[in-house]
Amino acid sequence: MARGALSAEERARYQRQIGPGVLTEEGQLRLRRSTVFISRVGGMGGPAALALAMAGVGRIIFAHGGTLESADLNRQVLGSEHGLGKPRAAQFADCLRERNHFVTVEALDHEPDDAEAVELAGRADLVISAAPTFAERFRLNRAAVACGVPLIDAAQWGMTGTLIATKPHVTACLRCVYPQDPPFEEMFPVVGAISAAIGSLAALEAIKILSGTGRPMFGSLLLIDGYRGHESRVQLRRNPTCPCCGDSPLPLDGREAGGEGGGTQDMN
Amino acid sequence: MQLRLFISGRNYNLAEGIPDRLTLPEGATLDDALKALAALLPGETRLPASCLVAVSGRHCGTVASHLPEKLRDGDELVILAPVAGG
Repeated sequence: MARGALSAEERARYQRQIGPGVLTEEGQLRLRRSTVFISRVGGMGGPAALALAMAGVGRIIFAHGGTLESADLNRQVLGSEHGLGKPRAAQFADCLRERNHFVTVEALDHEPDDAEAVELAGRADLVISAAPTFAERFRLNRAAVACGVPLIDAAQWGMTGTLIATKPHVTACLRCVYPQDPPFEEMFPVVGAISAAIGSLAALEAIKILSGTGRPMFGSLLLIDGYRGHESRVQLRRNPTCPCCGDSPLPLDGREAGGEGGGTQDMN
Repeated sequence: MQLRLFISGRNYNLAEGIPDRLTLPEGATLDDALKALAALLPGETRLPASCLVAVSGRHCGTVASHLPEKLRDGDELVILAPVAGG
């Protein structure tokens, strides 16, 4: 990683984001020194990773498994028809590298397990959770809390999405917000436009936090309901007895909560 | 008093027929509002226990476990069925 001042080429690349109301030169340097770990770079994580690469985050580590399918291409901006049937991780990494040669990209071609999540969060300054399951989201949350790094959780369903920014032991963590495990849903509807919107906002929060610019939305949840054209902001409450970030956290074994209570629930 | 209702998140489409205002007696609590809302849900539909509940931007907990919040006229009750997605 280049050290010291920005080069003339870097100044030229980032000139539109350095100045009043945006980043300082020191903020841009902080971004260059930063590492972000993103787990999954599909609908939301892809646009987030793209925005972070273009903004000049020094190192992006991402996890994404499987091969690219046609149904991915309504939202996964790092893929293309040319890559159908090929492993996602390698082509997504290439796509990011092609956007900005100043950025180092590392790709993990599978879902991180508990140990990998902690190892990667430990190497990062910030974690972005854009995973398809709550099991993985809670794993990333535990890793971020264990390593003391901020976590941004980006989520979506249909035309709606949520964004949560957490600072370990200061604000609510993801487990404080969802103490019960929400139900798993294999195939969910999603429109790529909301994925890109939520992913881009996740990247914006990351850029603010890493560069020391503006006011990060730590401790709050932003809900964007694109279906009805309505937004809401919720100031999240930390749970002092949270099994993840509370005073007596459980070990990092993934068993923090029970499942969703009750029987059949149509809104599950 | 009148409460503004905003139900969103997973399966938000199932809440489309529910009015966006809830009329409750003065002094009503969050529990009263959730009971009134449950009565409006069609058929066997129930709100998932893991839904986040907030009143006028204040995080109160979940449908299953929340603070005994006292409501005021004009409050916005947000019910968010957790979403994941990738």
